[in-house]
Amino acid sequence: MRFDRNRIADVTFGASALVTGLAVAAIFGFLFLFALPVFTGGQGLSILSGVWNPGRGQFGILPMLAASLCVALSALALGWPLALGLCCGIRGFLPRPIGRLLLMLLRGMTAFPTVVYGFAAIFLLVPIMREGLGRGSGLSWATAGLVLSLVILPTMALVMDAGMRQTERRLRLTGAALGFTREQTMTHLVLPACRKNLLAAAALGFGRAIGDTLIPLMLAGNAPQWPSAAWDSIRTLTAHIGLVLATDSNSAAYGSVFVAGCLLLLVNVTVQLCLRSLLRTGETA
Amino acid sequence: MFRGLRVFMIVCLTMAMTLSVSLASAAPLDAFKGKQGTVDIAGGTAHIPVMKEAAKRIMTVNPDIRISIAGGGSGVGVQQVGEGLVQIGNTGRALSSDEVAKYGLVSFAFAIDGVAVVINPANGVNALTAAQVKDIYAGKITNWKELGGEDRAISLYTRDEASGTREVFAKKLLAKGDVAPSANVVPSNGAMKTAVAQDPGAIGYVGIGHIDSTVKAPTMDGMTPSQKNAANGTYTITRKLYMNTKGEPAGVVKDFIDYVFTPEGAEIIRASGYIPVAK
Amino acid sequence: MSRPATYFVRTAVWGAALIVPLALAALTGVLVTRGAGALDANLFFGGVPALQAMTGRVPVWDGIWPACAGTLSLLGLTMLLALGPGIGCGIYLATSTASRAKAVLGFAVDLLAGIPSIVMGLFGFTMLLMLRRTIAPNAGASLLLAACCLALLVLPVLVSTTRAALESLPRQLHLTGAAMGLGKWQTLRHILLPSSARGILGGILLAAGRAAEDTAVIMLTGAVANAGLPAGIFSRFEALPFTIFYRSSQYRDALELEQGFATTLVLLVLSLSLLAGASKLQRTLEQRWQGIRDDD
Repeated sequence: MRFDRNRIADVTFGASALVTGLAVAAIFGFLFLFALPVFTGGQGLSILSGVWNPGRGQFGILPMLAASLCVALSALALGWPLALGLCCGIRGFLPRPIGRLLLMLLRGMTAFPTVVYGFAAIFLLVPIMREGLGRGSGLSWATAGLVLSLVILPTMALVMDAGMRQTERRLRLTGAALGFTREQTMTHLVLPACRKNLLAAAALGFGRAIGDTLIPLMLAGNAPQWPSAAWDSIRTLTAHIGLVLATDSNSAAYGSVFVAGCLLLLVNVTVQLCLRSLLRTGETA
Repeated sequence: MFRGLRVFMIVCLTMAMTLSVSLASAAPLDAFKGKQGTVDIAGGTAHIPVMKEAAKRIMTVNPDIRISIAGGGSGVGVQQVGEGLVQIGNTGRALSSDEVAKYGLVSFAFAIDGVAVVINPANGVNALTAAQVKDIYAGKITNWKELGGEDRAISLYTRDEASGTREVFAKKLLAKGDVAPSANVVPSNGAMKTAVAQDPGAIGYVGIGHIDSTVKAPTMDGMTPSQKNAANGTYTITRKLYMNTKGEPAGVVKDFIDYVFTPEGAEIIRASGYIPVAK
Repeated sequence: MSRPATYFVRTAVWGAALIVPLALAALTGVLVTRGAGALDANLFFGGVPALQAMTGRVPVWDGIWPACAGTLSLLGLTMLLALGPGIGCGIYLATSTASRAKAVLGFAVDLLAGIPSIVMGLFGFTMLLMLRRTIAPNAGASLLLAACCLALLVLPVLVSTTRAALESLPRQLHLTGAAMGLGKWQTLRHILLPSSARGILGGILLAAGRAAEDTAVIMLTGAVANAGLPAGIFSRFEALPFTIFYRSSQYRDALELEQGFATTLVLLVLSLSLLAGASKLQRTLEQRWQGIRDDD
């Protein structure tokens, strides 16, 4: 009897593991399956061309891919240094109580819903961007990039912090022995030792930024053009899926949605592989 | 005594009249008493105020009937009702013969709506021509000062491709001209209205039923956009609002459609800013 | 020596410490100042008396009560669907010895965690189309479909927190079980799971928080702007995040806008309380095992 229960337990857990694995396979499988007819059904690689104009029969989603990359990279460019700054502040540069407050703030930010960020930004940031930049309608690459950096900041900061906490504890004595101040220990010992963690945080932030839907949908204007200036209205792949899912189900516009989904999945896989290779070296089982 | 009789007769007449009026107005919603069912509605965003009010009244009388309303645009309406995902698909344009043939849809035009160009109330421009609108949307005119307004860049707003409003706008005002790729895309009439109301340099287009004090509708080729003008033919950029079903409607769905065509339904349509059309 | 490096880091620190709280305060401030005025019974019930609205006798069309009820039902159904596979998978990863399977599964869970929510919604939509073409021609967008997709979305959270909670237990506990002659399941049931229960509960709350705030998935699988109270798992529903999204672009007058702000406050309070509960639970778990672990 005792033996059986252990087996049942093993089987149950194995089954849940199998279900999870199958779910992931199903997601990838279905999306690639539905994207396939786009390439085999005569439309071919034109879906990856550079103009989106359904009225003229052009269904290129490359501008959307470019827009996704631009928004994600700009959010990363602003968010990563801020996250690094916050972490260093928490781990030594700032007085203890302020550091603790900042940590609480970071944890709270992870629960802030993205739709609420978008809502607040529409009414606060968009008018400021419009008047401040003097051009464009306020719904632009810059607006979306700014808010997106706030959205990805807590994830990146918490990953950096987790790594820094261990390293800082380990290297504190070393720094003291070398006569470093706390700040110098941070800058010259801890940060270089945590390099892998910092890069992993960047990869994670990038993945999160490129996968976000609501901020670009609400704040970037959704014009299907190539991003050329920060005040341009652009459409990311994610916003494209959200907008286009409304049109006729057999036309090429619909097929472009599945191709966009596959592109996003490919980006996700790449990011995960990068993370794996970054965090594997130096890991002790 | 005669006076008493006269008063009595007047009172009786008044009571009879009020009784008949209340009986008459109770009749449309009576059709829903005791019935059960679901009506899922999706599609054109211009129709939403009418659908919402009708559903509210019906569900208050009979909570066993469930009516859900989604937007999405005319393209969504056609696709979802055709695939059977909803029972009523709303469109702001007539169905094409392909759509009718492919899905076997039946259309019911219930209101006339116009499509008008709107700008921000702070904008000084009061009149536009179709040729100017075409150039603005093609990206050739980029600053309001070229039209007599202040020195401010024009922000273009357009609808997504599934929109019936967009189709009517493109056909009748742009004469199938291009929309510049830098135009901001908004997903519904309501969204267009709020976008234009918030941006001083904006230009967009909405159904006339959505025009209120937060946006300004300049005259188009001398025609003033208003419900009255759309009804009497003075304003020519009009379209009908349609409810579409797959095959002939039956049951609660038929009751809902019939309700929209009753005098009470017409009152709802008028209150939403459209002009009712007889069945 | 290397003054520039320290200087650079110090600028980053002070810059961040000033900008981030300021930005957050500005955004929250906008919400509170423009929305606190509308936080009353009218926001929830739209003029319908509270008791009748809550029992569903009179439909609420101008209030967010149906959306609240929709979000709560969605949460409940999602957690019901995700608990089993999530916790089971986490236990498997923490206690199994098949390292190849563990590596593959770990990678799969990480992939799942990285999938954008709109792609998950797209997947739900394609599942719907597939079902309609094959075994269930009358299937429609519904609470059940949205809950399934959300369950997939929060699965990685459950898996990783369960795994972390179990792995953070001191190794002595595993040995205690073996020393007493207990089998694997009994060790789990009597020793390991009760000890890590708080961490697992914390994970459940985190997952619930994620499910409550997600918009992109439900947008494509069943949330609509107006549907009344949820009438069963096969019907369309309203949900708080979708109502907020809808209101942000389509408000008809100043009151609706103010109510939109108030709705964001409601959702914010919901998410923050779930997070607070989760971190309290996880902290007590850490504190419990702190002493023993440091001895290791």
